Amino acid sequence: MTKRATNALVVGGGVAGMQAALDIANQGFKVYLVERSPTIGGRMAMLDKTFPTLDCSACILTPKLSEVARHPNITLMTLSEVGSVSGSAGNFKVKVRRKARYVKEDLCSGCGDCEVNCPVEVPNEFDQGLGFRKAIYIQFPQATPNVFTVDKENCIDCGRCVKVCEKNAIDMEMKDKFVTLNVGTIVVATGFELFDITRYPRLGYGQYPNVVHAMEFERLINAAGPTHGNLIRLSDGKKPKSIGFIQCVGARDVQKGVPYCSRVCCMYSIKNAVMALEHDPEAEVWVYYADIRAFGKGFEEFYEMAKSRFGVRFIRGRVAEVMEGKSSHDLVVKVEDTSTSKVRLIEHDLVVISPGVIPSSGMDTMTKKLGISQTDDGYVEINHTFFGPTVTKTPGVFVCGCADGPKDIPDSVSAGSAAAMKATIILSEGGT
Amino acid sequence: MSGTEEEPRIGVFVCHCGHNIAGTIDVEDVAKMASELPHVAFSTDEMFMCSDAGQTLIKEKIAEHKLNRVVVASCSPRMHEPTFRRVVEEAGLNRYLFDQVNLREHVSWCHMREPELATEKAKDLVRMSVARATKLQNLPIKKVSVLPTTLIVGAGIAGLRAALDIADRGFDVVLVEKSDKLGGNVAKWTHLFPSDESGSDVIKPLIRDVKKQDRIKILLSSKVSAFDGYIGNFGVTIKNLKTEKEQKFEVGSVIVATGFEPFKPEGYYAYGESPDILTLAELQELPPKEQLLKPSDGKPVKKIVFIGCVGSREPGVKGHEHCSRHCCSATAKAASDLRDNVDEVLVLYKDIRTYGKGHEEFHRMARQKHVIYSKFPEDGPPEVTVKKGKIKMKWYDVLAAEHLEFEPDLVVLATAMIPPDDVEETTHMFSLTRSGDGFFNPEHIKLAPLTTHTAGVMIAGAAQAAKNASESVIDASGAAAKAVGLMAQGEVEIESTVSHVIPELCSSCHTCLTACPYTAITMDETKDPPIAFVTEAKCHGCGTCAAACPSSAIVMYHSTDDQILTMVEAFLCPAPQVQGGG
Repeated sequence: MTKRATNALVVGGGVAGMQAALDIANQGFKVYLVERSPTIGGRMAMLDKTFPTLDCSACILTPKLSEVARHPNITLMTLSEVGSVSGSAGNFKVKVRRKARYVKEDLCSGCGDCEVNCPVEVPNEFDQGLGFRKAIYIQFPQATPNVFTVDKENCIDCGRCVKVCEKNAIDMEMKDKFVTLNVGTIVVATGFELFDITRYPRLGYGQYPNVVHAMEFERLINAAGPTHGNLIRLSDGKKPKSIGFIQCVGARDVQKGVPYCSRVCCMYSIKNAVMALEHDPEAEVWVYYADIRAFGKGFEEFYEMAKSRFGVRFIRGRVAEVMEGKSSHDLVVKVEDTSTSKVRLIEHDLVVISPGVIPSSGMDTMTKKLGISQTDDGYVEINHTFFGPTVTKTPGVFVCGCADGPKDIPDSVSAGSAAAMKATIILSEGGT
Repeated sequence: MSGTEEEPRIGVFVCHCGHNIAGTIDVEDVAKMASELPHVAFSTDEMFMCSDAGQTLIKEKIAEHKLNRVVVASCSPRMHEPTFRRVVEEAGLNRYLFDQVNLREHVSWCHMREPELATEKAKDLVRMSVARATKLQNLPIKKVSVLPTTLIVGAGIAGLRAALDIADRGFDVVLVEKSDKLGGNVAKWTHLFPSDESGSDVIKPLIRDVKKQDRIKILLSSKVSAFDGYIGNFGVTIKNLKTEKEQKFEVGSVIVATGFEPFKPEGYYAYGESPDILTLAELQELPPKEQLLKPSDGKPVKKIVFIGCVGSREPGVKGHEHCSRHCCSATAKAASDLRDNVDEVLVLYKDIRTYGKGHEEFHRMARQKHVIYSKFPEDGPPEVTVKKGKIKMKWYDVLAAEHLEFEPDLVVLATAMIPPDDVEETTHMFSLTRSGDGFFNPEHIKLAPLTTHTAGVMIAGAAQAAKNASESVIDASGAAAKAVGLMAQGEVEIESTVSHVIPELCSSCHTCLTACPYTAITMDETKDPPIAFVTEAKCHGCGTCAAACPSSAIVMYHSTDDQILTMVEAFLCPAPQVQGGG
């Protein structure tokens, strides 16, 4: 009988993957947590507040980040990608490419001297390109590991950072490394991406500066964001006095290939609408929706509060068009209010589009490598709604979070724990 | 407790939290004020204390300045107290020599428009904390062992799934079910909408596997009648409801999977006035037949109406304000399936919440089959009347802006999920709390949905909130992982911030026993006279007993009278020079 491996691999370091890693590690098994970006934390790290409690997202997330980073049973592999996979349940061999960070993780103290001296500024992806970062950078202050990364594409090799680094942590000659892991089970937690809303040219995103998407809005209201939490319009820096949120863009739309509901957009928009009013109680905030889907614990109550206590106005109707004033960059939303059957033109200073959720890029190649099947929508296919909602069709491979379909944070966390449970049943047969 | 004898050397770290705190409070000024306080050996401000850089700074300064107390002025201790306690511990200090001041939730966020006064308040709070820090004492780090058995309450789909996962992982389970059958609500349903399976298709294999597992002890027609102990070591008494016989078990953890009840909509839409007005749950229990027949006269149903949100989404109505989550998708699938053999199918709704995987497709399918969806106003529900056995209904269609009438053969009410009628008993038994929807509160609604504030007690499935069977299964496996996590480690740390009775001062008055909300205090009858005794693993450190004790016989560790009075004194005597005798 071949020896079974008692380690697990978790692919993806967002909130679902972190939870899965923790619940496996807490049972005494070793876990490799592989994340392709320089830090764990995933999408949740970018959010300002979370619904329905308005908890600050980064604040509730950081204890989890520390817990993962310090767990004796978890080996964190950031800036890493899964390569080829062979073997079967109980005994997988997984090749992982550890991309060169050009900064030695064990030496960097995260002091930031390098960053101050770097002369290159590029748009910061973490802030959705609204702010700037240097060519040697850290994604956000609580990034885990707290280690800088050199963006070689934009680095001009001036050598200033190398000179100022007291720890001699920067190594511009660093090369990608390949390691092979022997694991008994694999948990896929590769998350999601947002639908490309430029595919709806009638809504003006990418053409009008004051049409933004929800993730940009999150960064605009975040105290650690590019505007230090001052909600302003991108065209002129003015405080928006009237804001419109447009729902179901890239969701529930058969023509655009996204027939399914994205599950989170209603709630994050209601939350953003409330936050807009917290920033400026005098503002007028409108939400244009098809159905309000406030289905989770405390969600309906939050929706009710947004209407009654905050005075967010809800109009049932899919927006036909967003138009822009010639010089003012003010916007007009054209929509049929289906509850009165009247077509309305409503002026706004800022329009926020709520993009739907789609499978993360690279899902097709990832599923091929792992030999797991996909649904027509491109997500990981689960074994059975009732018998294996976190089990893939390949034995030993499990799935959680948004990798098998859109989910909110609590559902992702639950699924992370559930996938961990299934994974440890496989591992425990290995003799621990 | 062992005192910390050496002279206090306090380090104060004031956090900017980006602009969250520094945007309102003059953090540099606060740090400067702190540096002038007695016993403060070091004081600074920093962008994010919780970041790795901030944590490293604390450790470095502890070593550099030989600090033996640390005060961090940042956010609520609810989130980061464990973080900073660990940091000081890693630097060689006892974790209880740390104190946190909440400058964000308690100051900058609530006084955003008064920065000067906010800074004053911040200074007051920091000064109080520094004063308290001088009085902080080492407390021991305690661990208790965890018994390798889990009690699962409720043998519906969630309870069964959790039991099976735990047993498959190699631990023992005691599974208690109050009815005489395994399978809960799902087992009753001949159609498990929105799936294509019947409830028994789904539940039978689970029951078979649970019965096969030697590690699972099944107790039917039974209820937990007594529960005590603490995480890792609970004592459970289980009573057979038929024989009244009691059995005792010792378990390390508990999963409460007590599920829901479908709401019986008395007083809604003429429910009860005609056998042809059913709830969705009752429809799902009808025997499967080619042709749906009217319960009243057995004739085929030709016209059917579904009404959504019955007993759900009612603002201001206690226990009925929540969305029941499963009903829209179940209705869409039921309507779509039934349409094959029924001439007219209507769905009256407020919003259509077919959010789940494949559920939007069921909704679309229903519409393709010409199921008629009609939206009624939030404040104007349809009227249903029964006259001589005939059902008539009237409502206003919002989208068509028309008053409509219809005479259906069958009305199906998609009613709310509500907690079972004995939920209050379960709440008390396991010291749980409930939210507005009537279901149990998780430890944290976002990041800890499966654990509760009672350490060692988990919740899964519809016990936590309205949800469908698939979601309950995910919860169940997740809660099982939490229980196994405890059992696999074999031991768990408990808090030392507990109360303690000074035997010589106790007057045996029992006041603390009634004051304690966690039944953590008992009388030690081996003493004469009996004196109060605190089971530390059960104590939550709330301090209620210490406040109630008329003999001042109870010390609340980490919040002693001395520590609290020192803070009050620091607040009332602000300037350091005053303390210096000026």
